[in-house]
Amino acid sequence: MSADVVAFTIEALRQMNFDVDGADGETVFGPAGVDLDSLAVAELALRVEDAYGVKFGEEDMERLAIMSLGEFAADVSTRAQTSSLDGAAK
Amino acid sequence: MSRARHRAVVTGIGLLTPLGADAAGFFEAVCAGRSGLRRPAHTHPLAGILEVAGFAPDVDPATVLPPAEARRVDRFVVLAMAAADAALADAGIAVGQDADPARTAVVLANAFGGLAMFEAEALAREASGHTAVSPYLLAGMLPNMATARIAIKHGVRGYSSTISTACASGAYGVAEALRLIRDGLADVVVCGGAEAPLLPTAATTFRNSRALAAGWADPAEASRPFDRRRNGFVLGEGAGVLVVERAEHAAARGRPAYAEVAGWGVATDAYHPTAPRADGTGAATAMRLALADAGLAPADVGYVNAHGTGTKRGDAAEALAIRAVFGAHTPAVSSVKGVTGHLLAAAGAVEAAATALALRRGVLPPTHNLDDPDPECDLDHVRKAPRETATGVALSNSFAFGGHNVSLALAHPGGPSWT
Repeated sequence: MSADVVAFTIEALRQMNFDVDGADGETVFGPAGVDLDSLAVAELALRVEDAYGVKFGEEDMERLAIMSLGEFAADVSTRAQTSSLDGAAK
Repeated sequence: MSRARHRAVVTGIGLLTPLGADAAGFFEAVCAGRSGLRRPAHTHPLAGILEVAGFAPDVDPATVLPPAEARRVDRFVVLAMAAADAALADAGIAVGQDADPARTAVVLANAFGGLAMFEAEALAREASGHTAVSPYLLAGMLPNMATARIAIKHGVRGYSSTISTACASGAYGVAEALRLIRDGLADVVVCGGAEAPLLPTAATTFRNSRALAAGWADPAEASRPFDRRRNGFVLGEGAGVLVVERAEHAAARGRPAYAEVAGWGVATDAYHPTAPRADGTGAATAMRLALADAGLAPADVGYVNAHGTGTKRGDAAEALAIRAVFGAHTPAVSSVKGVTGHLLAAAGAVEAAATALALRRGVLPPTHNLDDPDPECDLDHVRKAPRETATGVALSNSFAFGGHNVSLALAHPGGPSWT
């Protein structure tokens, strides 16, 4: 699933007009990479929430902002599994 | 009228906030830590969007406008008009009797204009076609219409303007009033800010930007400036209007003043559309300029009414700025937003009023919910209970999206060293 999330995230960032040419799992969201500000992180989180049915809290934002795309994809995959397990438990 | 520097004093205050519709009750609620914040009722359009909000009292538009016109204006205009009526009554001014209409001014600020009215009309057009759109839309929603309606109602014929610097707007209105009085361009200025942002689209964008306090079981605990557990601000609506008057004009009428508006300072971050400079340099410059404009030194200041919204970065940057200006011995600091929430363009005017009341009464209001001060916001916080003070000088800070920083210097009406 992680590779799918990386591809989705790169496409989302492209639609948000960020330069993602050559971006991969190693690329970071911070100033050394795509350089997302807080509102861009919030928009990306919304897009991923819609696509994967996961949820990010306000307290997650600062942590997301310094991840690499690969770390982010792993985080999203974990959240997606957790939320589907929660769903199965109900 | 000469161009000599005139002094400006606050002689009237009108407030509509989540704490109610009268200024004295507002100050008592702030001092008692009675929160005005609540959860939207489950039938409210904001239920499911906002966990908690600050609702101003309901004002029947027909109490401030003729009935036929009352349904044609946005709520921000109604709130501004009601607060202006209250402020002029408090100052004992009927324009035309107690003040020359040509030397009376209005400077009412807002950030959103009539977005609620626009949202309703856009949805009506989508649902029912172009005949559903009111011909009164622009006259009801343009940002200058609070100023214009107040001028029309009270016959104000002098200077008028509208300021829009987001969350700093209301304080800019007070600063503009000081300039007009000081330069001899007006005797009386009706100034301040009004905001009615509690509409679904506006509330949703704040929510989606993750700027709002979240996860609090008790809505009264959600707004917690400078506290270690703070996690965002609480959106609120309201209006704050001050009558700022040339000191000699007020004295000639035999009117007492709440406080002198002694100085103003503005600096711009030139950094980011929404984030403050983390080192607080823009905020610090605004405070220094306000003191210099008032002819005061940092050591004269006994109280800072902080912008303090309850966001992680904003509060930390403001604390850095205060320490940069005042050194290790900071004056007492508090934010009223713990009980009011953030009233956006109204905030700066409401808080200038709170600062004036604090100086006049010699009582500093506490920051509500400041249970565990964040070490990153290391200041002399007024918390848990109000603090008596003999200070004669205070600053009131307002900072905004766009990097606008403004600080107002207020002084006890007896002067900075009245004790």
